[in-house]
Amino acid sequence: MLEVLFELPMNLLGLGISAFIGRFAYSGYATVASPNLLRLTFAFTSVAIGFALLASGLFAGDYSQAITTAGLAAQAIGYFFIAFSHSLKSFDFSPHRHLLLAPLAITGFVIPGNSLEHLVRSISFILLVYVSIETMASYMQGRRTSTLMIGSGLGLLALAELLSWYNFIFPGSFYVAALSIKVAGFGLMFVPFSKFGLASGLGRMNSQIGSGL
Amino acid sequence: MVAGYRTHVSIIADILSTAKQYSYEGYDTGATVTLLIRKANVPHQRLGSMVSALKQAGLLYEASAKYKISERGIEFLKAYSEFKGFAETFGLRV
Repeated sequence: MLEVLFELPMNLLGLGISAFIGRFAYSGYATVASPNLLRLTFAFTSVAIGFALLASGLFAGDYSQAITTAGLAAQAIGYFFIAFSHSLKSFDFSPHRHLLLAPLAITGFVIPGNSLEHLVRSISFILLVYVSIETMASYMQGRRTSTLMIGSGLGLLALAELLSWYNFIFPGSFYVAALSIKVAGFGLMFVPFSKFGLASGLGRMNSQIGSGL
Repeated sequence: MVAGYRTHVSIIADILSTAKQYSYEGYDTGATVTLLIRKANVPHQRLGSMVSALKQAGLLYEASAKYKISERGIEFLKAYSEFKGFAETFGLRV
């Protein structure tokens, strides 16, 4: 019962934040038709679906484990889309496009475990570390505070995945800390949005200014 | 990390910015093809197809063999600037 009381609001908060970022990214894609914004839309939609599944998994009884794993897998797919966008930026040379799959390839170095949930968490952790490093590298180039916050948020998400993995090995050890850090990570990622004028961005969603370009 | 090439959207924004500069900001005669090629740094062949697409989308219009930005084009540039900032917070390009 305590688990539901704590985890449900956290998951719903994560769902709200990621859905909001995803919707903003979609409004950007609909307006300027940028592939990177489409990837961010897929990423945050997937993460939001993951949070929805994690929340519903709390009430699924016998199927709880399966639904939780599906939620974590959806979030890992979301993290992959962000990592993929960074790969396209960093490996911007056409003869070796297969290197775009680099973040996926390193997932072979997953932390050994004996369950699907364990495997998915390891993949999420590796993808998040990669994305966090890439974002921090971008911060070093541009020195934008908002990029630093996104990079720190992604770093917190990676830490949350690591603690969740530890919690998996030693149940109950970092459960509350892991979930709190995860939501704090998404919160940190949400902060830079205050300067974008969210209402105007979402208002453009249906205008399709750049459609057909 | 590689500096990278300009994306399709950013080239479009460069073309529209040049057209805007020669539509409102003191030079209201419009931008010639030569100016667009030089300022937006796009080859002539590619510029032709892009300008056609921009005219078709209603972002640019032609007046006496010169190009001017439309109201819709200005709205696009504003949106581009906003979402460019959004993508850059993730360390990405629009």
